[in-house]
Amino acid sequence: MDLKCLLATTVACFVLASAPAVELPAAAHFREKIQPILSQYCYDCHADGANKGGVAFDEFKSDDAILAKHDLWFNVLKNLRTGVMPPAKKPRPTSAERKQLEDWIKFEAFGIDPNHPDPGRVTIRRLNRFEYRNTIRDLMGVDFDAQTELPPDDTGYGFDNIGDVLTLSPMLLEKYMDAANEIVAKAVPTASRAIEKKAIPGRAFRRNNIENPVGDAGGALYLSYYQPAVVSNSFQAAHNGHYQLTLDLTANENYVEGQFDYNKCRLIFKVDGQELLRQEYIREGGKAFHYEFTRDWQAGEHVLVFELEPLTLDEKQIRSLSIRINSVTVRGPAEKKYWVPPKNYARFFTKDAPQTPAGRRAYARELLGAFATKAFRRPVDEDTADRLALLAEKISREPNKTFEAGVAQAMVAVLVSPQFLFREENIETNRPPDSQPFIDEYALASRLSYFLWSTMPDDELFRLARDGKLRKNLAGQVKRMLADPRSDALMENFPGQWLQARDAETVPIDARAILAREEKPNPEADLLRKRFKEFANRPEESLTPEEKAEFAKVRTAFFKSFKRPRVELTGDLRYAMRREAEMYFGNIVHEDRNVIELIDSDYAFLNEKLARHYGLTNLNVTGTELRRVTLPPGSPRGGVLTMGSVLAVTSNPTRTSPVKRGLFILQNILGNPTPPPPPNIPPLEDAKKESGDYPPTSREALEIHRNQPLCNSCHGRMDPLGLALENFNALGMWREKEFEQPIDVTGKLITGESFKDIRELKHILVADHRLDFYRTLTEKMLTYALGRGLEYYDVETVDQIVNRLEKENGRFSALLMGVVESAPFQKRRDSDSLAGNGSSSNSQQRAEIKLKP
Amino acid sequence: MKTKDASRQTIAAERSASLSRRHFLRGLGACLALPAFESLRPFNLFAAEAASRRLATTATGAPLRTAFIFFPNGAIPSAWWPQLETANFGLSSTLKPLEPARQLIQVMGGLDHVCANPGLDGGGDHARGNGVFLTGVRLKKSATDIRAGISIDQAIAREVGHLTRFPSLELTCDNVRQSGACDSNYSCAYQYNISWSSASTPMTPEANPRLAFERLFGAGAPGARAETAKRRRLEQQSVLDFVLEDAHRLQRRLAAHDKDKLDQYLTGIRTIETRIQKAEQFGPAKDPEIATPAGVPSDYAEYIQVMFDLMVLAFQTDSTRVATFCLAHDGDNRSFGEIGIFEGHHDLSHHQDKPDRIKKVAEIDLWYVKQFARFLQKLQDTKDLDGRSLLHNSMIVYGGGNADGNRHTHTNLPIVLAGAGGGTLTPGRYVKHGSKPATNLFLSLADRMGVHGLERFGDSTGRLKDV
Repeated sequence: MDLKCLLATTVACFVLASAPAVELPAAAHFREKIQPILSQYCYDCHADGANKGGVAFDEFKSDDAILAKHDLWFNVLKNLRTGVMPPAKKPRPTSAERKQLEDWIKFEAFGIDPNHPDPGRVTIRRLNRFEYRNTIRDLMGVDFDAQTELPPDDTGYGFDNIGDVLTLSPMLLEKYMDAANEIVAKAVPTASRAIEKKAIPGRAFRRNNIENPVGDAGGALYLSYYQPAVVSNSFQAAHNGHYQLTLDLTANENYVEGQFDYNKCRLIFKVDGQELLRQEYIREGGKAFHYEFTRDWQAGEHVLVFELEPLTLDEKQIRSLSIRINSVTVRGPAEKKYWVPPKNYARFFTKDAPQTPAGRRAYARELLGAFATKAFRRPVDEDTADRLALLAEKISREPNKTFEAGVAQAMVAVLVSPQFLFREENIETNRPPDSQPFIDEYALASRLSYFLWSTMPDDELFRLARDGKLRKNLAGQVKRMLADPRSDALMENFPGQWLQARDAETVPIDARAILAREEKPNPEADLLRKRFKEFANRPEESLTPEEKAEFAKVRTAFFKSFKRPRVELTGDLRYAMRREAEMYFGNIVHEDRNVIELIDSDYAFLNEKLARHYGLTNLNVTGTELRRVTLPPGSPRGGVLTMGSVLAVTSNPTRTSPVKRGLFILQNILGNPTPPPPPNIPPLEDAKKESGDYPPTSREALEIHRNQPLCNSCHGRMDPLGLALENFNALGMWREKEFEQPIDVTGKLITGESFKDIRELKHILVADHRLDFYRTLTEKMLTYALGRGLEYYDVETVDQIVNRLEKENGRFSALLMGVVESAPFQKRRDSDSLAGNGSSSNSQQRAEIKLKP
Repeated sequence: MKTKDASRQTIAAERSASLSRRHFLRGLGACLALPAFESLRPFNLFAAEAASRRLATTATGAPLRTAFIFFPNGAIPSAWWPQLETANFGLSSTLKPLEPARQLIQVMGGLDHVCANPGLDGGGDHARGNGVFLTGVRLKKSATDIRAGISIDQAIAREVGHLTRFPSLELTCDNVRQSGACDSNYSCAYQYNISWSSASTPMTPEANPRLAFERLFGAGAPGARAETAKRRRLEQQSVLDFVLEDAHRLQRRLAAHDKDKLDQYLTGIRTIETRIQKAEQFGPAKDPEIATPAGVPSDYAEYIQVMFDLMVLAFQTDSTRVATFCLAHDGDNRSFGEIGIFEGHHDLSHHQDKPDRIKKVAEIDLWYVKQFARFLQKLQDTKDLDGRSLLHNSMIVYGGGNADGNRHTHTNLPIVLAGAGGGTLTPGRYVKHGSKPATNLFLSLADRMGVHGLERFGDSTGRLKDV
């Protein structure tokens, strides 16, 4: 579906609908059309002195004041659309009235021109840690551990790529400088020639010229102490000359508690039949051994042989002693005339440095100009290339510095330059001046690559941008980019933050406490534990002899009864949970599926551990690899709400939190406005049941909210959603009971629908709240793609994408192309003009109203 | 993907590094093996200037240091405050671990941060508790448009920072950040930073002990660090001119909106330039001759102690006289399994007046004070140039931005001032100051650090008289 076509349809509808009122100023239109609607449905609570939630519709001091209230109208729009207002028990506007209200807010109060929505302006963005690491990988071929070496980035609107929030402290700049030096030192050779080096991996050595059983490519070769062995390989010397051989070995064992292994072996290393090494080894505990030999070799083949002889045939073989041959490295010939360009040389240098100073300068200029162009993701001017060449020349003139060392240092400067660390965006200059100009093709290439890959544009994007053909080939390029493995970054960073799947690896959860809520109470053990803690917390000298004796008894009993919890959130399991979210999302992206499957589906991504954790034991899922699994009919899994990652990150360490889970759904799935909790929250009365011995269930504790109007206005929305997930504990496991009580997961949404469990709730969300979800997902993705928070003038852009999604059956590509083709992604507001807004009084408000994340 | 595996491996590697280190340290009974002071006796070429202007200098001519240490989620008031307001006050249960340093601490009652109150901004008391703590200004409630104010440590560092290799040191134990939005639509920057060099530039704290150590003393093995540090300066210097020129050009091309970001860059460049100049003036840093700490310890108590040790080391070597340390951000929900508390700290702090929950929160408060007490002990055990202890010649604020974590109050904040300020403070007391802005205390400390011309700070109404 072509965006323009869609736009045209929308515009036509709009013009028709509002044709009779075109001449009326927005404020007059408000009085004539909008006030009657508000009066009928809203005035009970929001006029005539009533101002529930601080909202009153009859207190505007002037016409301008009506239009200036962007935050008010924005909230009206959101509450209206999500069905939160008017409340379920009150009469609601007809769909025609609703449409009228929505259109008035969008096109008159906000003054949005649907043909030219204000694209807004993104603050210049610094690369965040993930982008920095990936960009360095692609530019330099080095994996720099930015997650350890750089401080975490601050987030805004839930994402860590928001221009305004990515600050740069002096310490961070210092770290960028160190990083640049370290990276360049690792990647860029500082000499044009070096002695040739060739490493022969251990596995390349073969027994009697028979191939090693498990492949023969890289890796080490293990020779047992207990078995005689002869393994050999040959080396082809290209020239006569002086060679150096380095053996890299370790002597390994499999540790066995309390038992020793007294075996010995002898290793012999021979070159062309001549013995160079004869060495005996006892149990060495993983020690490394390096041996160096020099040889004068003729050109041609040289045979390298290892022989292992067991020396202790009668000893017990206990620890699987072995010699591990890691590699044999051959360096040579040492004679300078045979030196070769070092590894990576061709990546950064195209030829040998010319002899003349002028020639060298020109060559440095050419190299560094090209490098900086790549690094800055746009062509550099002549002057920048000159300055870099000058820097390189200055360094290379220092004592002991080569031409290459000079170029390398200039590359360091490039990696510290603000043009590398920040993403500068220019506008298209070959078009007539516009208050909403298109960003140029280089900027577009970077927006695409950082959105989909979290890294710099590749050669193809860059070439298309240079030729001015990227915008014309957008759809094809997006498709190509999604097929590229670099798009894994989108699966990691978008759901990683939208669903907080990243946090699954770190969220503190205490398995013992969680599981205790589902097990039979054991007052004896509880007492023991309590008593033990009491003693343990007291200074030893304060204990009486009787107490000391009791402490000793309690301690023994306590440790005797101590058991590991039956389930623990191990690193493997946490990682699988995180990957589950990423792969689930990735599958929808790659198969271009309906995004509503994020809410409900009949499949999940599982490995053996995760399947077991979820209680899905009869699906025959084995091994560590996660794969798509079709769920049994009626399974509550399927969709993000019942994924371990989401269930865990919305829990407290010792219990589930229906409030956090409900809030999570409101904010990330339904996009309901959620005001922050009021200050000075009054303490909840103890909801403990009179008769029971148990602490209150979550539902009981939350019941109190319903009786307090102050709490109920928000908790009435959150709690039913969160309580519907109570069948899942904080570890993400299914449970039927808590404190031996059956769990009640029935509920009613504030919009009126009742459900009996999570399966039904998911059906309701899919059937009745599809557009809410489309809109929320669109807002999240647009925020992530743009690197800025959404503002009131983005409402129409979001609506257009939602319409497109609805029209194209929710296919992911509709969302993605909708985002990529949208005005804010393609254009930017001219620095100081305020385009696309009919009312001048709106301008001051612009910066202050933001969409809730 | 490859990068992910690599980072997982790194995490695993750092974990195992910290594990083996822990075993090593358990045996040692300390974190960093702090070296004897004599070997680190600092040389300061600004001593004369500092003494004549009384800049961060005691009457005896020794360096005067100040540090601000933040702990999260307030403290249970009934367990924190002493009963009697006298010099003979009995330390409350939470502050009991400070007993050995009792004559060198002041428990300060009645200090407020009214700018952290909701006012018209509504929820977000944790973001405010954190961001207001050292700035004393109202934060702009926004996820992106960050407006706080300069923090007191930075205001002091501006005046005295030139005396030492590092104007200031910022540390934290928040090495893992939660994804998603932060407290009530406040930018996460407010919640993770207590130190601010300007309204829009937080001083990102260092969370990795290894990196903090390398920054202070250079990378590599003992003995080789001066050489590494020198090489690093030369490398930095060679690219400074180029990138500065680049930044100026870029700034000319940018819209007003983006220029803030470039200003941050330029400030960073100037800071590095100053650092290089200083390194030349001061000569190589004294090498503490101890092993560089490994990455982040997995044990929280050990993590905190390594960071405190770095602070002692920085003071001892006179690498800086100003430091901040955010133990954990306000709203932190860490659990404390080592003392049998498995619930999250923040979750517990909303205790609903249940006695068992209150008791647990008080135990966590106590745990934090214990960590602080160990730091004070080290400062007390280390002799300064004038024969006094480092603690005598320091002014250390230990406090939080919420008073009662349950109700999110910001008056009568839990604050302890440790150290004798080189003899200018009157410690060993519990003083109720009535209801005064905490910034009044900050001004009094800034005065003692030799800051001139600071009439007001944040919401201050004057100097705190009786300290």
